[in-house]
Amino acid sequence: MTATAAQPSFDDVPTRLSSRGDLTAFLTQLAAGIGADSYMLVAVVHDQARSDARIVASNWVFDAIELIGKRIIATLAQGLFTAAPGIRPQPLVAAGAPDTGGLLSGEEVRLLDVFGHAELYSLRLDVGRQRLFALFSSAEPGHIDRSALMRGQMQCCYALSQVPQLLAAATTQDPLSDRERECLFWVSEGKTTDEVALILGVSSNTVNSYITHAIQKFSASNRAMAIATAIRSGII
Amino acid sequence: MKRIEARAAAEALFDRSHSPFGAFSLGSETHHAVTMPDAVRRCRWIAVDINATAFALFFSGPSAERAKLVPCFDSDYPSVATTTRLISGANSEDVVRHARVSTAPLWWADDAVAGAAARFAHLPWVERIAPLAPGSAGIAFPVHAERGQCGLVVFLGTAMTLPQHALYEIHARCFALFDAVARMRPAEAGRVGSITKRELECLKLTANGYTSEEIARLLKLSVHTANQYLTQSAQKLNAVSRTQAVAKALRLGLIE
Repeated sequence: MTATAAQPSFDDVPTRLSSRGDLTAFLTQLAAGIGADSYMLVAVVHDQARSDARIVASNWVFDAIELIGKRIIATLAQGLFTAAPGIRPQPLVAAGAPDTGGLLSGEEVRLLDVFGHAELYSLRLDVGRQRLFALFSSAEPGHIDRSALMRGQMQCCYALSQVPQLLAAATTQDPLSDRERECLFWVSEGKTTDEVALILGVSSNTVNSYITHAIQKFSASNRAMAIATAIRSGII
Repeated sequence: MKRIEARAAAEALFDRSHSPFGAFSLGSETHHAVTMPDAVRRCRWIAVDINATAFALFFSGPSAERAKLVPCFDSDYPSVATTTRLISGANSEDVVRHARVSTAPLWWADDAVAGAAARFAHLPWVERIAPLAPGSAGIAFPVHAERGQCGLVVFLGTAMTLPQHALYEIHARCFALFDAVARMRPAEAGRVGSITKRELECLKLTANGYTSEEIARLLKLSVHTANQYLTQSAQKLNAVSRTQAVAKALRLGLIE
């Protein structure tokens, strides 16, 4: 496949990924293709009542993550200031950027600048039902090509779809058996134990035991919490 | 529309003479489509850009137990095309499962369709599947919206053209389109507007495993009041139990 002249080198990023090394190579080339110096991939983990963010891959320096990155990630984990696929992204940090509602103080913006993140974009990535965030930044404002950034966002979604095992480590596993999941699903639809028993063709004692097991596996305190946990982590 | 958005939209439209996104570029599209006919029109623009003869947008069920595609609209809007019915029929289970774990586009071409077989074989990232409808060729883009809704935008045609660099733009536009459709779709939206802050607090605490007694203590209410809040919120959400109310509130994005 020959790329058109309008998209130089952009279509040359790896399109077959199977390992962490592949992912790093992919991100490095993609970042270069859109004019970014740094990248960071963040997975949001729903762990019972809390939302936690974990870095899947990044080439940020350690100090930058410690001093400022973690704070940004915590905000992004709540779904704020992030461009969904197909939405034209606005820089989070840049000269003349829209007001980010006091997300970052002047001192923090200066810190980012020092670490080479003068311009910073935050993108939402959808990998199946799993949601991640990508941060792309450049040391020089105006370096990142926004149209290329939007294409890169889709490429990231595709690339991560190929390496689910790398994300699995960072996200909630589905600990439930098929039967337990089915039971929880029907209870979440408002069915009573007896109704679920009828639907699945088992006794109501069996249904109760499936649900009890599910509650234990989530270390939840009751049905409502088990169902909330399952929905938050996208299991049902 | 804020000034900055207007500027970005204008920039997207007029910035470059050879805009790779076509006449209506990615960024500007989000501000359109407030009604279903608008959404259909937008989908038609995308179809025209890849030379597709037909299109359809599906929602996929919220869980693995309901792995099926529910048609939202297609190129025959306001009626529904036969092909759309075929696609949402028996074959769709694998596709729904795919969309739950991967964003990679799927394409198919029936052997009976001459010349279509090699159509998308050159594209990276995409996966070939068995035909979703007999005697057809098509490509399906998995899409996701803000509140966890999941769907599929399908284009059909035997003479579709989709160069690699356009693949990303088309898929991104499908995302924006689906997001707009998902926003107007929640039938419960009007009703849940009336849920009070207090009721949401109680729902959220219930989701986090607290009992009525604990909620009453935390919010400094009587147990009866806490229970009343939960009953009211269940009614407003049209749920039969507080467990279902919690599930519905989470799925609708009322609580996190």
